[in-house]
Amino acid sequence: MTERLDLPQGTLDLLILKALSLGPMHGWAISERLHQVSRATLTIPQGSLYPALHRLERRGWIEAEWGESDNNRKAKYYELTRAGRAQLADETAAWARLTRAVELVLDMG
Amino acid sequence: MSSLTSEIRFRLRALFARGVMERELDAELRFHVDRETEKLVRQGVPPAEAQRQARVAFGGIDRIKDDARDQRGVQFLDHLAQDIRYAARGLRNRPAFTAGIVLTLGLGIGANAAIFGVVDRVLFRAPPLLRDQATAHRPYRVRVEAIGEQRSDRNFSFPLYLDLRRHLTDVFSDVAAFQTRRLAVGDGAEARELSVTVVSANYFNFFDAVPAIGRFFTADEDSVPQGVPVVVLSYGLWQSQFGGRNVVGERLRVDRTLRTIVGVAPRDFVGMSDQGAPAAFIPITSYAFALRGAGYPARYGWTWLETVVRRRPGVSVEAATRALKAVFFTNWRAMEAEDPGWGSPEDARLDAILAPVQLGRGPQAGASARVASWVGGVSFIVLLIACANVANLMLARAVSRRREIAMRLALGVSRGRLVRQLFTESLLLAVAGGVVGLLVVQWGGATIGALFLPSEATGSVVTDGRTLAFAAMATVTAAVLTGLVPAWNAGKDDVVSALKASEREGGDRRMRLRRGLLVFEASLSVLLLVGAGLFVRSLNNARGMRLGYDSERVLMAEVNLRGLRLEGPQALALMREFLATAQSAPSVTHAAMAASTPFWSNEGRGLWVPGVDSISTLGRFILQIATPDYFATMGTRVLRGRPFNKDDRSGAPPVMVVSEGMARRLWPGADALGQCVRLNAPAAPCSTVIGIAEDARMRMFSDDREFTYYVPAAQFEEQNAGTLLMRVNGVAAAQVPALRTRLQALLPAPAYVSITPLARLVDPNYRAWKFGATMFVAFGGLALTLAAIGLYTLIAYDVAQRTREMSVRIALGAHRGDVVRMVIASGLGLVGGGIVIGLAAAAWLAPMMSSLMFRVGPRDPLIFGGVGVSLLVVGVIATAWPAVRASRVDPAEVLRGE
Repeated sequence: MTERLDLPQGTLDLLILKALSLGPMHGWAISERLHQVSRATLTIPQGSLYPALHRLERRGWIEAEWGESDNNRKAKYYELTRAGRAQLADETAAWARLTRAVELVLDMG
Repeated sequence: MSSLTSEIRFRLRALFARGVMERELDAELRFHVDRETEKLVRQGVPPAEAQRQARVAFGGIDRIKDDARDQRGVQFLDHLAQDIRYAARGLRNRPAFTAGIVLTLGLGIGANAAIFGVVDRVLFRAPPLLRDQATAHRPYRVRVEAIGEQRSDRNFSFPLYLDLRRHLTDVFSDVAAFQTRRLAVGDGAEARELSVTVVSANYFNFFDAVPAIGRFFTADEDSVPQGVPVVVLSYGLWQSQFGGRNVVGERLRVDRTLRTIVGVAPRDFVGMSDQGAPAAFIPITSYAFALRGAGYPARYGWTWLETVVRRRPGVSVEAATRALKAVFFTNWRAMEAEDPGWGSPEDARLDAILAPVQLGRGPQAGASARVASWVGGVSFIVLLIACANVANLMLARAVSRRREIAMRLALGVSRGRLVRQLFTESLLLAVAGGVVGLLVVQWGGATIGALFLPSEATGSVVTDGRTLAFAAMATVTAAVLTGLVPAWNAGKDDVVSALKASEREGGDRRMRLRRGLLVFEASLSVLLLVGAGLFVRSLNNARGMRLGYDSERVLMAEVNLRGLRLEGPQALALMREFLATAQSAPSVTHAAMAASTPFWSNEGRGLWVPGVDSISTLGRFILQIATPDYFATMGTRVLRGRPFNKDDRSGAPPVMVVSEGMARRLWPGADALGQCVRLNAPAAPCSTVIGIAEDARMRMFSDDREFTYYVPAAQFEEQNAGTLLMRVNGVAAAQVPALRTRLQALLPAPAYVSITPLARLVDPNYRAWKFGATMFVAFGGLALTLAAIGLYTLIAYDVAQRTREMSVRIALGAHRGDVVRMVIASGLGLVGGGIVIGLAAAAWLAPMMSSLMFRVGPRDPLIFGGVGVSLLVVGVIATAWPAVRASRVDPAEVLRGE
């Protein structure tokens, strides 16, 4: 099993936005998606997803709607708004700049 | 959707749909755990274990919920609820402290709201339903009288009213006239004397009033000269007399005329009255015609109409006043042309004032209105004192809570939050105080109103929205004033030193603040007590002043003939019969007929005295025409010479009695007895002065230039001596019913007699002083009590803090008496400071009130001295108990206890 990494501060929002950019999904699905895509490297305490979702909703980056899940249960689906999409682009660019800068520094010698 | 609106929507939902959001959060989290469990089960984990693992993976569910809630952005309200619970718990744990503060605030707020109710009515409130009070005005005509005094009138003659309507159309869109009279309403046994407002047809246009039924009368029904005999009932009369049935078209006798009812005014309609709703409204023209005949539209001397005008939009008050003044001039010239005796408008130095509709804000504001504004200020001072006291108590408490507060700061409560918490406590106390205050208003407002407002105008004060709004404002003010100081102080505390210090130490800054507050309270109390002293002495002086007659024992009877026409001799015969009947009544000791009645109606005639020029500039001369028993009836003393008697009959040499002041004024240095006075014309026969009577107050309560002279009815205009005065045994008012029955029997229907105790005419003169005295005494007493409580708590607290110092002193050999003296001295130091500041402020402020005082100087040394001494006495009493307690400390015990 590979070593698990704690999520750097502030990146959870970015990951959620990215996950939602593929289409509306509910909280558990987001959690599963992040887990699978990161090949189980990122430890995200599942519960901490929800305060983050509510924060994003308050800022107007995602919208929530109750719908039917695949096994016919009521689930709260989140969807990226236009503002959310713009935010995702911004944050992705910022993240790329940051990691490149960090790499450059680490490659120094 | 912009992020701002989404944010707002989200927070609103969080605020108002809390329950829904909580349920959704629950459902959402449960869904997650369930899905996780299902996944694990699918992977082969046993269900129970799967559920456990899912929960663990999820994390602490309550903390997550909390975090999610925090994201909603409404923690502030959660904190507020927390603060309120916290404060309420703290206050419940200290019932005495809480009760003290709530009561103090309650009295302060209640007194304010009650007074506000009164001041509001007198000064600020426009008549109900009046449309746009900013453009509605009362015009006043100002002139300088022959005597040299300026005088303002709001009662105009009918011709002047017509001129205002005719010549001012470009500045006033409407001019209405009105006058309220006591008139007999109904017929026969049902007839009662009620207030009826005589109004012009356009009067109703000034109000947003729709008749309850029927209509108001029209301009055609109010046309010169005699209009149409119609009447509009008030809502109250309609309900009480007619049971609210459809009365339109029915007949009702008002005064002497049988009138057709055309409508009923709406429920809240009182017109311009500040005395409650009249019983009915009738057209001016029909009333004036019935009373004075067809000649009234040209009678300049009959000034009986009040007016209200509507200023046109865009016309300034100044421009309107100028136009008004011009019309006053034209009208006066027309009057002068008719009767040169009026003199020219230039001589009268005519001027105009366009004042707000409230009488209390016009040039004729009575003493009561002026006293009301002072009392308003006073009640505000009381609120200040109450707040100072409460702040004082809170400060004392803050000191004892210092460690608790420091502890909470150390535990990470932010200072802002802490200040908010303390402020919440003040707010809670103020709200409780406000509730108590409303109870005080409920009880006190009616009392104050009854004391001060005309009887018909008192209503429930509490139901009054403006008073409630004011009480709410006073509450918030109290919260801010009492909460800011302690909260601000707490915010400044240094955690470490506070935690290290024992409770005894520190708080010097607070102590200085508390002392300052106390000096402030004491000086305000001094201020109020000086005011109380001034009003009480004024009232006493006024009550003690001899009016020149005995108002308590005299009844006045007037006959209203209601259109019954009696020819001269017939009327005289009736009056003589009246007098004889009164004289024969067992309860009546003396009776007389007279033309003038004090504070009711006064006669006057031209006077000519050989050797004295332009008498009218020397004073106001009031004529009394009376039958021989007048002096005995009124109790007016004849100081020199003799009163007139039966022998001064028609045909005998004309005689006259003059008041002492008049004798001195007309014949300074000479004997008035035997002098000649000519009445009505320069060439009239001499009336010889045969007696000098004491001065009598007939028109003004105190006016050194008001004089009275008396002539026998048998020799001069007997027909004008139409008021019957009766001196009775026992309580005057109690004799009224029996005498009325007796006198009424003499009258042919529909005439009737009304009897009024003279005291009722005189009493309103005392009202302003009575009100001022009562209010200042009540508030001064309240202020003094509050200050004494404040002083007591401060000294008691101080003593408790200094127990160790006292013990050391006593242990080192100080006498216990020294300790008592020391403590009392510290208290008196504060009181002394308050007295000095308070008296200085009073010496500066009181002269502004001097016009309201009666024969007492605004800096009366007796009052100033008395207030100073009583405050010192109260100071000693308030400090004595803590002082004695301080002297009783057992040094050994205290010092060991450290």
